[in-house]
Amino acid sequence: MGHVVLDAPDSAVLAALRAGDEETFAALVDRYHASMVRVARAYVATKETAEDVVQEAWIGVVQGLSRFEGRSSLKTWMFRIVTNKAMTRGGRDARSVPFSSLGADEPAVDPSCFRDSGRWQGWWVSPDVVGHLPEALLLSKEVRAKIDAVIATLPSSQRVVITLRDIQGMTAHEACDVLGVSEANQRVLLHRARSKVRTALEEYLRDGVGAEA
Amino acid sequence: MIDPQLRCVEFVELVTDWMEDALDDRTLSRLEEHLVICPPCGEYVTQLRQSATLLRTLDAEAPPPEARRELLEMFRAQRDA
Repeated sequence: MGHVVLDAPDSAVLAALRAGDEETFAALVDRYHASMVRVARAYVATKETAEDVVQEAWIGVVQGLSRFEGRSSLKTWMFRIVTNKAMTRGGRDARSVPFSSLGADEPAVDPSCFRDSGRWQGWWVSPDVVGHLPEALLLSKEVRAKIDAVIATLPSSQRVVITLRDIQGMTAHEACDVLGVSEANQRVLLHRARSKVRTALEEYLRDGVGAEA
Repeated sequence: MIDPQLRCVEFVELVTDWMEDALDDRTLSRLEEHLVICPPCGEYVTQLRQSATLLRTLDAEAPPPEARRELLEMFRAQRDA
């Protein structure tokens, strides 16, 4: 029981939850709560409201267990409850997420990183423009906090997609299922979000985070 | 007709579609040919994979203890209702 059960098929997890197994529910909360708050946060104005929405969503999950038919995975069903509750609340707070908006069509990399003329136009200005990131720094708390802050600055739709895909680890299909977007639009949002996170990470590490410490 | 060689500025815009297996065969082979001759673009892919690994660690955050306690109480109350 406990965490192990989350690796079991949905039917086994559902059976445990329906039988009232608290350890399974606790494991579910430990596994998904933080990501749910991140997702909800993209639709509402404050972190507090997002926490509130997710509490409400968990009640919806528990109350809906008997009706859940397993047509989607348990995970996508739970996240859909979160986005539905968050959209309702977001509407009240007048800050809904327009998923029709993919965000500005910005280049993935600053154009000044590429040669602007000559035979090699459009190639990196120099091989070391793309630096090697030291693995050890990537695992530091400071870098994680920095990346967390970058994600908070992304347009809402990009933030939700990168949260579901890269933080939560959903497949493209699952993320599209939760958000009701096409696979193509999901990829555009993911591309823009990942490009910005990479740029921020590189700039941050290049500016000598190690030297400051 | 021979396709023009893919440039780095195009590579960085196609890389997500490549990682998501969403490229047509022709673009796929242009991209993979580019990758063979361009080490900085290879490094670029490494950086993207490194940020993905980093993002995955953000998922390990524990819920706030107070919220967790309330949720378990809610679960018990619903169960025993």
